[in-house]
Amino acid sequence: MHRPSDTLRQAQGRTALLRMGFALMFLILALRAGEVASWPPPPQPHPYEEPQRPRRGNIVDARGALLATDIAGQSLYADPHLIAEPDTTAQALARIFPNAGDMTQKLRQDARFVWLARHISPAQARAVLEIGEPGLVFRAEPERVYPQGPLAAHLIGHTDVDGRGLAGVERAFDGALAAGQDVRLTIDIRLQHALEREIGAAMETFSAKAGAGAILEIATGRVLAGASLPDFDPARAGAASADRRFNRLTLGVYELGSLFKVFSTAAFLEAYPKEGLAARFDTREPLRSGRFVIRDYHPEERILTTAEVFEHSSNIGAALMAERVGTERLKAFYAALGLLEPMPAWPLSEVGRPLVPRPWRDISTLTVSYGHGIAVSPLQLATAAAAVLGDGRLRAPKIVEEIGAPVAARQVLSTATAQTMHTLARLVVTGGTAKEADVLGYAIGGKTGTAEKPGATGGYDSTRIISSFVGVFPAHAPRYLILIMVDEPKGTKASYGYATGGWVAAPAVARLVQSMAHILMIPPIGESGNNV
Amino acid sequence: MHPSALYSRAAPTWREKLAEVNWGLILLISCLASAGFAALTAAAGGSVDPWAGRQAARFAVFLPAMVAVALIPLRVWYALAWPAYFGTFALLVAVEVMGHIGMGAQRWINLGFVQVQPSELMKVALVLALARYFHGAPGEAVRSPVFLLPPIAAIAAPMALVLVQPDLGTAAVLGLAGAAVLFLAGAPLWLFGGGLVALAAAVPVAWHCLHDYQRARVLTFLNPSADPLGAGYHITQSKIAIGSGGLWGKGFGEGTQARLHFLPEQQTDFIFALWAEEWGFAGGAGLLALVGLIVVYGLWAALSCRAGFARLLALGLTVNFALYVFINTGMVMGLLPVVGVPFPLMSYGGTSMLAVMGGFGLVMSAYVHRAGRL
Repeated sequence: MHRPSDTLRQAQGRTALLRMGFALMFLILALRAGEVASWPPPPQPHPYEEPQRPRRGNIVDARGALLATDIAGQSLYADPHLIAEPDTTAQALARIFPNAGDMTQKLRQDARFVWLARHISPAQARAVLEIGEPGLVFRAEPERVYPQGPLAAHLIGHTDVDGRGLAGVERAFDGALAAGQDVRLTIDIRLQHALEREIGAAMETFSAKAGAGAILEIATGRVLAGASLPDFDPARAGAASADRRFNRLTLGVYELGSLFKVFSTAAFLEAYPKEGLAARFDTREPLRSGRFVIRDYHPEERILTTAEVFEHSSNIGAALMAERVGTERLKAFYAALGLLEPMPAWPLSEVGRPLVPRPWRDISTLTVSYGHGIAVSPLQLATAAAAVLGDGRLRAPKIVEEIGAPVAARQVLSTATAQTMHTLARLVVTGGTAKEADVLGYAIGGKTGTAEKPGATGGYDSTRIISSFVGVFPAHAPRYLILIMVDEPKGTKASYGYATGGWVAAPAVARLVQSMAHILMIPPIGESGNNV
Repeated sequence: MHPSALYSRAAPTWREKLAEVNWGLILLISCLASAGFAALTAAAGGSVDPWAGRQAARFAVFLPAMVAVALIPLRVWYALAWPAYFGTFALLVAVEVMGHIGMGAQRWINLGFVQVQPSELMKVALVLALARYFHGAPGEAVRSPVFLLPPIAAIAAPMALVLVQPDLGTAAVLGLAGAAVLFLAGAPLWLFGGGLVALAAAVPVAWHCLHDYQRARVLTFLNPSADPLGAGYHITQSKIAIGSGGLWGKGFGEGTQARLHFLPEQQTDFIFALWAEEWGFAGGAGLLALVGLIVVYGLWAALSCRAGFARLLALGLTVNFALYVFINTGMVMGLLPVVGVPFPLMSYGGTSMLAVMGGFGLVMSAYVHRAGRL
């Protein structure tokens, strides 16, 4: 063994360096591999992994009937990068979705995700599968369906294609529904059907443009039914016209005419409890106030009692009552009934703002007594009427069932006045303007309204009217309040050319009460409350 | 027969040589290639077509060829060193002149029955030529600049041609492997210092000459998140693949990055990312350990050799192999810019496999004939 030469020593040293270099590089690679492997995958927007929306809660009626629910559905999208022949694929798709327009553009996009059709039917899905194009992909997507169709569409509301609430309960309770919670409404679909049927029938008979109505439970303020016609299918709300989607029950405000005599008469009885029904009003001449002249629609041309003013719906008499009540007191009474501001406690966002006289002159006091110069939403009027024709207590209307929640009620007139109003309301049906509203055994009491609509050129248009009836039953101890309003009815031969509240809305309410009696199994009773 | 018998006789029989062939190394190489077949099958969505089958067929042809190379006396290779170098160099020139253009870069030449990538062969030929040059060179001569000039030219010429192709990765491997042979042959340290300085000086010039996509790759390497869907796409997707594999991986055929074609060039340059996604950190580290064993085996074989040519040849080729792996995995894991270097034996590609296995054939030949003096 000879001593290694310098060259050999150097070679050994350099080989050792090489080995160290290798070891170092392997170490670096191993460390790096460990580092990369331990990284969490970065968030990457990716069509295949986009989260699906969770199942949306149901909307059910008071008795649990489904009004809105999610069903399993699927939607179709394209991954254009995977589509080899966009033109032929688009042609094949056009045969399945004839109304979807030309899809060639979508299939040619430089993208990995393009919606082609949302919520497709199983038959369509099968036809797409038969194309056999791997770039056409399905995604499970819950679909909002409304088993009752257009029933109560304006209250239930609707969602957009992604399941976000756009109107009605769907919008107002979007948070709870999106979190999967069910929402139970106070609506009873049986009463809702009856209400919509009767309003619809009245509209058809009298060739009317629109209609609205509500049934309230007086003791609780629960809305048992609420309708706005014409309506729409919430599942295809986008296809409906704005006119059909317009909520006439809570968003629209209308001059409802003589229905307001319910409030002005009650205000007079509250202001003059001793004089009360014994007061006399001279209606022989039209009432002049400045440049205004107030006339009666059915002139009696005699001195009328308070009851007769209400029964025959004398504008002159109502104005004379209001004159004696005075501007401040009448205004305060209307305000207490919630007629001058938008409904504060209505949970849905479709709330109309009342049109009230601004400035409020003394002549305004006279006209608002018979419902001219003041416009409110029908539900707002029904709420106030439920207090005046009910037990004198005002309750905010409810649309969503709140189990165990106390009913907030505010006394707005004396029980004695409320009792007197029952009697007066019953008189209107037995001998006044609403004889068509009488139903044997159910003692309906109420008030008709026939209001001319504001004309296009200012003033009023006598050919376009809103006919309405607000009633309660049984009249001696009212439990239910019903309002029906028909927009622009035309007289018929059977109605001798009349299209007034007494001819149009009162009989509709009568038929509705008959249906309600059957549905709610209310036994018929005598005039004073004893059994017949 | 005892190995010492090799020292006692000038010319061992074929039988004796066959017993001396490094069967352990062949086993390790087969393991690595088999991992490649598995990864290529996964890359094709569980099908041996189009990659794994052909790759296995080539391996089946090259394996006996490798053993044959090992059995051929080393002096034959010594004699063939310069012809091999100049032949390959001619092919490189031919690529420049009439090369087949693939992926925007001229790298392939069509020999009628097969397409070859001369730059891959050059990695072996260069080491062969340099080992031949430095064989038996005395220490004083190695330190003389005049003596060092020819090998430096032998390295620089093919590097320049490959750079023009353009193929940064192969040029880097050629340069580094050549430098390693010079280093091991005992070239003075000032040469490497000077080389580094020259390299640093050349960077601005080189930057000017780079293609736009190459510049984008370097910038992307420096800041991968700048353009994750554009130039940074390759490396971002590759790192996602490795990261999503975690410790134990997603399992064979379950790599979504590869299956859904997010991973670019998954059957060639990025096959390590596919492997790491499916087999996790454990699989990746296992693969690197396998490479490490092969390198250790190569070094051990090289250091067993008596002749300078044999020792330098085996060392140079082992360094070559290791550089492949380092640059490829470094690139896939975001340590180096994306330069286009395959993972030896795993990446799909015939010429690369031919060069690697031919190289190991030469390493084994050096070992089998370790006792000879040429």
